[in-house]
Amino acid sequence: MLENFSFRTIVEYLPLFGQGLVTTVWLSVLSFAGALAVGIGLAAMNLQRGRLFRIPAKAYIDAVRATPLLAQLYFLYFGLPRLGIILPELVVGILALSLNSGAYVAEIIRAGILSIPRGQVEAGVASGMTYVQRMRLVILPQAFKVTIPPLLGQAIVLVKDSALLSLIAVAELTRAGQLLASDRFMPAEGFITIAAFYLLLYYGLKGLAALSGRWLGLAGART
Amino acid sequence: MTSNRSKNGTGMIEFRGVNKWFGTLNVLRDITLSVEPREVVVVCGPSGSGKSTLIRCINGLETIRDGDLVVDGQRLGDPATNMTRLRTEIGFVFQSFNLYPHKTALENVTLAPIHVRKIPRAEAEKAGRELLAKVGLADKVNAYPAQLSGGQQQRVAIARCLGMRPKIMLFDEPTSALDPEMISEVLDVMVAVAEEGMTMMVVTHEMGFARKVAQRVVFMDAGAIVESGTPDEFFSHPKTDRSRAFLSKILRH
Repeated sequence: MLENFSFRTIVEYLPLFGQGLVTTVWLSVLSFAGALAVGIGLAAMNLQRGRLFRIPAKAYIDAVRATPLLAQLYFLYFGLPRLGIILPELVVGILALSLNSGAYVAEIIRAGILSIPRGQVEAGVASGMTYVQRMRLVILPQAFKVTIPPLLGQAIVLVKDSALLSLIAVAELTRAGQLLASDRFMPAEGFITIAAFYLLLYYGLKGLAALSGRWLGLAGART
Repeated sequence: MTSNRSKNGTGMIEFRGVNKWFGTLNVLRDITLSVEPREVVVVCGPSGSGKSTLIRCINGLETIRDGDLVVDGQRLGDPATNMTRLRTEIGFVFQSFNLYPHKTALENVTLAPIHVRKIPRAEAEKAGRELLAKVGLADKVNAYPAQLSGGQQQRVAIARCLGMRPKIMLFDEPTSALDPEMISEVLDVMVAVAEEGMTMMVVTHEMGFARKVAQRVVFMDAGAIVESGTPDEFFSHPKTDRSRAFLSKILRH
């Protein structure tokens, strides 16, 4: 069985995989930055008392979470040009991942802020802090610590979701596997290789999560 | 002890006919009470009698439904009253301390002075170290709250209030969450603050503290002030059945 498995072809295609890996990494980084921006904005809207901001934020988050990422991606890729907005595939892909992941990030941030005990808010209020001062000095620094681990989890999901961009012809890691599979009819070699690379990325992010956990522990996060 | 009450009846804290409801529950019933500058008033009563709610209204952690509440000459709920500004004059010590867990003891004390009072950092830190020394924690300046005992945390919390140089200090059952052996270290600090002439309202059942520094004890039940008098009057000759019943329960052991 294994005699049919061509390591040589994998080595031959390594530069292609390498390019794909690099593309996956930087488009994931950009998308996650976008997701953080979208998520912070949505969480801020969602935490307001007034419905004016809260209802649109909740509707957006529900819409994203209720529909498949692939449908969202196709909507942006095929739908936007019909509305006269024509963007390069890569931009559409980063946009789709940012908008999708942003909804999940928003909920992580909101949960982090709400996890801070009411007494912390009251201590800030009682010492004459304004809402902005309380957020900046008391709530957000504490919420930040509890959100880091789930945010890294979301980053791992985003990296794996980025594989869908191969379907709109973005030359990322999964696309490299597809090319090997179709050029040489070697799906086993193609897809096992990309799986190995995704595993590598996963361990990278997990290591980062462990490092951040240790760093946060040192900073006196325990109560 | 009413001798220090001013003639015009405007004390540091003035409740006049204050009512408050939680839903249909009348948690404060027609409260009228005046606390003079430098006066120490102890508030006691059974749990659920509205003691905590009473003092939480003073710095606006709770709002009142009707009546007047005037603090340091400013009427609460009046659009002209800057609540955020007024709160800087009122220290509040919580039952559960509520120290900032991500800040050291010193940072807990200096945070509001630096950011709210706009005191230069070096000056605030110098004052903060002195205050922590005053509450007996000179060696814990750089400790995080999680590294301190309950009694130590509460003393940091008192220092945190003093750092704002308030005119009034409110204490909401400051020793109720503490192990017995830590209660006296917190009470000693409170006695010292009282002896420096701070205007204080203290919700507590620590009768030794009341006898030592309070000019007045206010007894509440079911949202109303039932009785009020000097600690001696109240403890030795309670006037109502309810206060007698309450005292017999807390003094029995």
